[in-house]
Amino acid sequence: MTRRLATLIAPVVFLLALLYAWTLAADAKLVNPLWFPGPERSFAKLGEWIATGALWSPLASTVWRMLAGWLAACAVGIALGAAIASSPLARRLLQPSAEFLRPLPASALLPPAILVLGFSNAMIVSVVAFGCVWPVLLAAIHGFGALDARLVEVARLLNFTPWQRAWKFQLPSALPHIFAGMRVSIAIALIVTVASEMLSSQPGIGYLMLVAARAFRSTDIFAGIIVLGALGFLINYGTQRLEGRLLRWR
Amino acid sequence: MLEARGLSVSFGAQPVLRDIDLTVAEHEFVCVVGPSGCGKTTLLRALAGLTPILSGSALFKGRPVIAPQTELAVVFQDYARALLPWRTVAGNVALALEARNIPASDHAARIAPLLAKLGLSGDGDKFPSQLSGGMQQRLQIARCLAQEPEVLLMDEPFGSLDAITRQQLQDEVARLAKEEKRTVLFITHDLEEAIYLGDRVIALARVNGNLAGRIAEIVDIALPRPRQQLATREDPRFLQYRHRLFRHLE
Amino acid sequence: MGAAFPLAVLALWELLSRGGVLAEDGFSRPSRFFVAGAKALADGTLLAQTAQTFGAAAQALVIATVAGVTVGAILGLFRPLERAAQLTIDALRPIPSVALIPLSLLIFGFSREMSAAVAAFACFWPILIVTTAAVRGVDPRLIEVGRLLAFPLPKIVLKLALPAALPGILVGIRVAAGIAIVVTVTTEIVTNPRGLGYAMTMAAESLQPDLVWATLLWVGVVGWAANWALEKLPIRR
Repeated sequence: MTRRLATLIAPVVFLLALLYAWTLAADAKLVNPLWFPGPERSFAKLGEWIATGALWSPLASTVWRMLAGWLAACAVGIALGAAIASSPLARRLLQPSAEFLRPLPASALLPPAILVLGFSNAMIVSVVAFGCVWPVLLAAIHGFGALDARLVEVARLLNFTPWQRAWKFQLPSALPHIFAGMRVSIAIALIVTVASEMLSSQPGIGYLMLVAARAFRSTDIFAGIIVLGALGFLINYGTQRLEGRLLRWR
Repeated sequence: MLEARGLSVSFGAQPVLRDIDLTVAEHEFVCVVGPSGCGKTTLLRALAGLTPILSGSALFKGRPVIAPQTELAVVFQDYARALLPWRTVAGNVALALEARNIPASDHAARIAPLLAKLGLSGDGDKFPSQLSGGMQQRLQIARCLAQEPEVLLMDEPFGSLDAITRQQLQDEVARLAKEEKRTVLFITHDLEEAIYLGDRVIALARVNGNLAGRIAEIVDIALPRPRQQLATREDPRFLQYRHRLFRHLE
Repeated sequence: MGAAFPLAVLALWELLSRGGVLAEDGFSRPSRFFVAGAKALADGTLLAQTAQTFGAAAQALVIATVAGVTVGAILGLFRPLERAAQLTIDALRPIPSVALIPLSLLIFGFSREMSAAVAAFACFWPILIVTTAAVRGVDPRLIEVGRLLAFPLPKIVLKLALPAALPGILVGIRVAAGIAIVVTVTTEIVTNPRGLGYAMTMAAESLQPDLVWATLLWVGVVGWAANWALEKLPIRR
């Protein structure tokens, strides 16, 4: 019983110990307090944001831009991936280009996008979508083409049309791969959204933090880091739970 | 019902089957036995319309078999690969009903008796990964029966199972075949299984050092039904058949 | 064959631009930006900027490797410690690297160190996780031998655990190298210190669309080449 309790408490103690060490270091001026205010002040600033309602508008902007870009990319990636996977010619033509574009940092698209679309929400969502589409597209191409040969024969034996085969066989079989791609791309979505906000001074958490940096308000910066960390954590957790539900059979 | 006339199959330049003549009459249980690599699986696949024929013909009810059809159901040896892992037991059986365009409202009524027949009654909501090997094979058989096929083609269906499960399934398949008046073509490398189950046993072998498989002998099995694991296998006629056919396996 | 599609896209772009369908100031056109790119390559600016970017990425990778391997080795050897640290790791790892840009700006100003610090944070996690797993996977008998020979802990780690875990660790470093380049370019774009990202943003601000697209293409080529080179390294589990 105490063993169980210990394993539950130990991680919390560890984290609290680290926070305490940070507080001590800040108080003892071991680190520049201008840069590293203690956790107490950072959380207090976050509390202030929540209490005054200053948090919600920028957070909402960041979140909806991220989701809009990501969802658009997923829809395009899956549909396009299914189409490309069904044609070996299309695969040979298009897959190399997709592989080439995958390592391109999505943020590199920001300057050209600003040239073309100016400083706007449309610009940010487009860049986010562009950055997110490649992991999903490549995962979809791989997933739709990876149906077990035996199941292909089963589909033939049961006389299913190509449409039925795609819906009943290929899509469910591709889903684990597609989800993996979607998980990678939503992480990219968060990063690119915040980066876009910082570069284009559009209202959002990213811009909030950049302004704070210029004004040397480090408590605001840390409050922002906490918010984004929490957002990242929630996204991870949410996608894992969702995947667990939808892919129960694994 | 099912016929092969002068059937020959090659894989590229490699001949696999030469001049196969055989007939499977309605309600007959025919076993094809032979050593590994003699082409017995290829024979089944050619008759099912899965593998193209070089010369000669495969006929189902007098008409040439050019493509797979739901009247010819195939039970594969690798049952795990032939089932949809993302569908439940009931869902997998439903696949065959969907192939026959049976409305979803009728599915439950048809699935329940099939599951009962194959001893899967309580498992309708389980996923294939939660079933043992024997139960997965039963599930595949249930799905094939849901096709209401004219002929059941079974490709070494019990080869991956342990001896006890194999015996149980042998008796179940024999019983089902008689109850439902099915025509069965059963491939196996196990001579005793072939004699135990069949009304007729066809021995396939590579004759005279030929690369391709040919029919070595056809033997009618005059053992009484229903067959019993102990009594039938000790019957002197069983042993005689064994002696007769054994040399073709070498 | 794979080149057919991009060439077709470029050709279409050129046509649409000349035909006035695509706005020239935003979109430029392939004939122009290839020329601009060639000029920037020839006069060395592009290469100097690339060196800056790679320099920051390399710095980040070194820092992350030292920190990640050290902490990872310790956590890998002491299971209870790893379990205790898990919550902290799960809380810190999801912080997107860009979230640290403002802090890094505050501390380091506009400089290569700023980019390197942010990229080091991003690279630290994959190396930590891979090292922990690799060290944990080392045959326990090997560690026992070290204890029996009365090796002090650092010696056990350096002479026994790490060499055995090396293949796994190298895989993690390879992943981190890719991340280092991406994050470095991202920080540069957002904040304008020197480097490729800076080149792009400056070109955009001075309304030189040709240079913007040329640099983008270069970034793509460099990124792809770096990726390709990393995959060619003989690092297998």
